[in-house]
Amino acid sequence: MAALHRFGSVCGRGVKSVLLSKSALIRPLLSTNRTQQPPFLLGSQIRMSPVHNASSSASFHWTLERSLSLALLGMIPAAYVYPGAVMDYSLAAALTLHGHWGLSQVVIDYVHGDAKVKAAKAALFVLSATTFAGLCYFNYHDVGICRAVAMLWSL
Amino acid sequence: MALLLRSLTRGRHIVSAHHPTCILYRHAVPMGTSAKDEMQKFWDKNTQLKRPLSPHITIYGWSVPMMMSISHRGTGIALSSGISLFALSALFLPGDFSSHLDLIRSLSLGPVLLSAAKFTLAFPFTYHSYNGMRHLMWDAGKGFGIPDVYRSGYTVLAMSFLTAAVLAVL
Repeated sequence: MAALHRFGSVCGRGVKSVLLSKSALIRPLLSTNRTQQPPFLLGSQIRMSPVHNASSSASFHWTLERSLSLALLGMIPAAYVYPGAVMDYSLAAALTLHGHWGLSQVVIDYVHGDAKVKAAKAALFVLSATTFAGLCYFNYHDVGICRAVAMLWSL
Repeated sequence: MALLLRSLTRGRHIVSAHHPTCILYRHAVPMGTSAKDEMQKFWDKNTQLKRPLSPHITIYGWSVPMMMSISHRGTGIALSSGISLFALSALFLPGDFSSHLDLIRSLSLGPVLLSAAKFTLAFPFTYHSYNGMRHLMWDAGKGFGIPDVYRSGYTVLAMSFLTAAVLAVL
């Protein structure tokens, strides 16, 4: 917070003045009262409660997208080393979700107009849901994703 | 933090410790419209006036980063379509996976053709994965300088080709 106060004087009078001004004029903004209370920023208290608005949910979605991408990258070698049912279902979930989120961005970029956007999002949702269902069906009734890749590659 | 900086630049107010009022927010003004609303207004106005779209990709000089970016999207769409096709055929086509592999085996394709097919399957996957790592580096704030963008781009291309080639002969 002291840095902020210093920055404020920079904006007011230019960089040179900060270097030349007497240090007595630039005081930390913390704690001007002599009581035992914790130091306050002069004039306000910064609240650290979580913010819930449209932009924070968008940035949370962004973070989730990157986390999933990272997890999916890790799953590739993991599937080679530990093939099996757990890996199959994890891959099914991660792949379809990553694909769904990716294709949603494509829809947002290229589809315009309320009705068209709604239709495209609905179609995408159906596609992703069916894809996930199909992969789970394959994992349950057939050989499973990891085994299938191994079999395909041994052709 | 931006609110605090904005207020500080508009003049400093010395407030005594006896009146800890919230003066730092006096100059803050809430946003009128969201970015989404602004974009919607842009599209509505232009479609309503029936304005033609300016030439863009037909006239702008292509660059390696541009091509790699759209290829990342293209390979992503291709891979997703492939997975969806696979899932849909599992649900709706008769026969299990082994029977479909037997069908391919019955075609008696030569080893070169098989390797070529494996490369065609592997390359979009390796390219999207390596370029994905490059994207995650950008998301972490690294590698934005133009020489870095080109260097990392060429690295991704080389690694994608090499890895796909190795996978194709396995």
